Amino acid sequence: MTLHIVNQSPHANNALGDCLQAYVEGDALLLIEDGVYAATGQHDLPESNVYCLKADAEARGISIKSPIEGVDEVRWVSLCTEHNPIVSWFK
Amino acid sequence: MPQSKSILALCRHAPYGNALAREGLEAVLACAAMDQIPEVLFINDGVFQLLEQNPEAIGEKNLRRNLQALPMFGVETLHICKKSLEDRGLTPDQITVAGAELKFLDNPGAFIANFDQVLSF
Amino acid sequence: MSNLIIDGREIPLDKEGFLRNLEDWSPAAAEALAAQEGIELTEDHWDVIRLLQAFYKEFELSPAMRPLVKYVGQHLGPEKGRSIFLMKLFPPSPAKIGSKIAGLPKPTNCL
Repeated sequence: MTLHIVNQSPHANNALGDCLQAYVEGDALLLIEDGVYAATGQHDLPESNVYCLKADAEARGISIKSPIEGVDEVRWVSLCTEHNPIVSWFK
Repeated sequence: MPQSKSILALCRHAPYGNALAREGLEAVLACAAMDQIPEVLFINDGVFQLLEQNPEAIGEKNLRRNLQALPMFGVETLHICKKSLEDRGLTPDQITVAGAELKFLDNPGAFIANFDQVLSF
Repeated sequence: MSNLIIDGREIPLDKEGFLRNLEDWSPAAAEALAAQEGIELTEDHWDVIRLLQAFYKEFELSPAMRPLVKYVGQHLGPEKGRSIFLMKLFPPSPAKIGSKIAGLPKPTNCL
């Protein structure tokens, strides 16, 4: 299953929307950097397997809305090893 | 050299607004020159790369003309996201690339999941 | 690499011997570029030079080895669309040496 990583704010461009268009059930989505602005509960995201890097959310004053799971760097690495391929949506 | 990992290049951006489309093409040609022939998927604004274009007007090289070389380099099938075309008011019959087989995908996500490595441009 | 002198005019080359200005190319320049590679141009060479220029015109890029072999095969027949044929004409790196003599930019994806 694919791990999608998004680092763009959902308000800045359509990287998140493009990602979700290629998202299939069982895939995982990880929000990092400005991608964490999608973790506030105002955006339509898959119901499970959505993760958000805690440090990036904290740094930006964003609280991660359940069921999105906050993760640290160690969990990020394990997500990368558990999934294949990994697709970056960085622009 | 045996092909060890399957590679997909995801072409997601329109041709001339930034360097990504050209970088993607260069990466695909470089892989092919080393006998690691990738598959290519045009998705999102990347489908605009396939339209007839005349960039001499802005002093750029014609990216579509370069893309037409892909079959010569061994990339004989181009994959295109059908929904991305529709979202932009385009239809499959508007897309032609001489010498290449075009496959229009209904489910790009399932296609992406088949690969070992995905390069995003 | 030293510049070419053709009909008393100096034609600048880059450090790998490619034309700095592609519009400087002429059949005489091709002969001189080939001579620098120790190659004397025959009709077979000219066939491939014309195809390299056609390839560049069609795709706006210089071919690497694989596409050059394929293109030559499509236009000159399978007998000539083989690496060995091109290796004999433009050793040791046909795409690169051939592009140089045909007045094309250096292939960016050529090893």
